[in-house]
Amino acid sequence: MERGYWIKSKPVYNALVWHEKATAHLVLAQNQGGLAVLKLFQQMQPQQPVTVIYAQHDTDYAKTLKKVVPDGLDVVSSEQELLVSLKNIMPSMRMGLRVYVAGSEGFIWSVAEVLKTFGVEEADIMKELTDTLARTIYCVHCKAITHNITTNIGKCSGCARMLFVRDHFSRHLGAYMGLMIDAESPGELPEIEEIYP
Amino acid sequence: MTMINVKVAAIEQVTPLVKHFTFVKEDGSSLPAFSGGSHVVVSIDIGGRVHRNPYSLMGSPMENEAYHISVRRQENSRGGSVFMHENVTVGMPLKITYPMNLFSLAKKGRKHILIAGGIGITPFMSQIADLKRMGANYELHYAFRSPEHGAFAAQLKESCGDHLHCYIDSNATRLDLQALLSDQPLGTHVYVCGPSAMVVATLETARNLGWPENHIHSEQFLSPPIGEPFKIQLARSNVEIQVSAEMSMLEAIEAAGVEADFLCRGGVCGRCELDVLETDGALLHNDHFLTDSEKASCKKIMPCVSRAKGERLVLDL
Repeated sequence: MERGYWIKSKPVYNALVWHEKATAHLVLAQNQGGLAVLKLFQQMQPQQPVTVIYAQHDTDYAKTLKKVVPDGLDVVSSEQELLVSLKNIMPSMRMGLRVYVAGSEGFIWSVAEVLKTFGVEEADIMKELTDTLARTIYCVHCKAITHNITTNIGKCSGCARMLFVRDHFSRHLGAYMGLMIDAESPGELPEIEEIYP
Repeated sequence: MTMINVKVAAIEQVTPLVKHFTFVKEDGSSLPAFSGGSHVVVSIDIGGRVHRNPYSLMGSPMENEAYHISVRRQENSRGGSVFMHENVTVGMPLKITYPMNLFSLAKKGRKHILIAGGIGITPFMSQIADLKRMGANYELHYAFRSPEHGAFAAQLKESCGDHLHCYIDSNATRLDLQALLSDQPLGTHVYVCGPSAMVVATLETARNLGWPENHIHSEQFLSPPIGEPFKIQLARSNVEIQVSAEMSMLEAIEAAGVEADFLCRGGVCGRCELDVLETDGALLHNDHFLTDSEKASCKKIMPCVSRAKGERLVLDL
C-alpha cells in the first residue's frame, strides 16, 4: 500500500485507560482482552462501581481477575453469553456510565452494536484490540457478512465471490468492505496471503 | 458574503428588555430553510459604521415565510442592541446572512435536556419545533430573573406542556444541575445557552458526572468587548489599520476595505481565524474556539472578538 495512505474510516484502537470522571464503569472483554482488563486494574481500583464481564474460551485470565476485581465480575464462556448478560444489565445503567471493550475486532463491534440499542454511541466506547487482526467483511455485492477473514482476499459466505478486503470500514455494520477481485477477469486471482493473523 | 435583503414585518416588546423582530424577504419570496438551533448575522448601519450581530432564529423551521429573532437590550455594549431597540422600525430594510447552525440537535440522541437562562431561550425555540415534529423525548429547563422577564414562558407552556420546567430567581426557585444530570437515561444529550456562569456550571457538572463530551452542547455568542485601541498590520494586503476602542479587529479590517472571512462573529465558529505572523505584545483572546494551548502559542487569533496589546501585530491577510 502507498506510504502515508490512510483511510479515515478505519478504526484506531487504543490501550484501555480509566476515565477519571464517571459515575460507573462497565468493562467487557474476551480472551486476551482479559490481560487488558488486568492492566486497567493495575492503573487503579476506581472509586465508582465497576462491572466486568469476561468471556474466555482459550485463555485463562479468569483466576487472576477474580483476585483483582473487587466485585461485579461475571465470567462467561462465550461471546454470545456475554452479549446476553450485557443486554440484561444495560437497562439499569444511566448517563455517567463509561464503557471499555477489549477483544478481537469482531467482538468489539458486536458489543458496540448491542450498546447502540441502549443509547451508547460507538464514539463513547473505549476500545482495545487484542487476540487477532482478523476482519469481518461485508460483501458489497450480496450484502452478506463474513467473519474471521485473515487473508487479503476472502470468500464471501453469501455468494462465494472472492472478495478483496478493503480498509474502508463501516461503523454501522462493524465490517470492512469486500469487493469482487476478479470481476474484470473471472478466475484470475492474485496470490492469497495471510495479512490479518 | 452573500446577504439576504429582508424588511422588518413586525416588532413586539416581549419583556421590559426583550424585543421580538419578524423579518420577511424584501421581494416577498420565501426565505431559505433552516434547522433548529440556527442563527443569522444581522447587519445594521449605525452612523456609517456597520455592526453585524448574530441572533438565533426562533421560529419553526417548518415556516419559511418569515424569520423571527429576539434581541435583549444590553446597556453596556457597543450599541448594536440599543440600536435594534430604538432605531429599527417596521418596514425598515435590513441585510442578514444565510442561516448557519452551530447548535444543532444530536439526531441519535434518545433524550434531550435543554437548559436556557434568560435570552438564551432563543435557539431552543426553533429546536423545540424540531423535537416536537420528531416526537422526541425532551425537557426544557428555563431560568429567568423574575416573572416579567420570562420571555415566551407562557407561549412555551402552551407548546411544551409538562416538558417545560421554569426557575424564577425572584421566587427563589433554582435549577439543581447536579440532581438533574445525575439521573438520566443513556443516550441523553444536554444543551445549554445562557449567561456564562450557567453555561460553565452545566458543562462542569455534566463532565464531572462522566458524560461523554459529544453529549454536551453549548452556545454562547460573545459580543466584541470594548478595549484599548491598537494597531494591526495586514501582511498580504500591505496595510496598517487602527483598531479603535469600540471596534472589533474584524470590523476595522472590513472598514479598511479588506475582505475577511466570517460566519458567527461571536467567537464560536472559527471561520474568521487568522494566522499571527509577528507580535510584540499580548494577544487578548476572548473566543470560545481556540484551545488553551493554541491561545498560549500566539500563532492564531479570532478577529471577531479578540484584541491585542502592544505596538506590533502582523496578520496573514
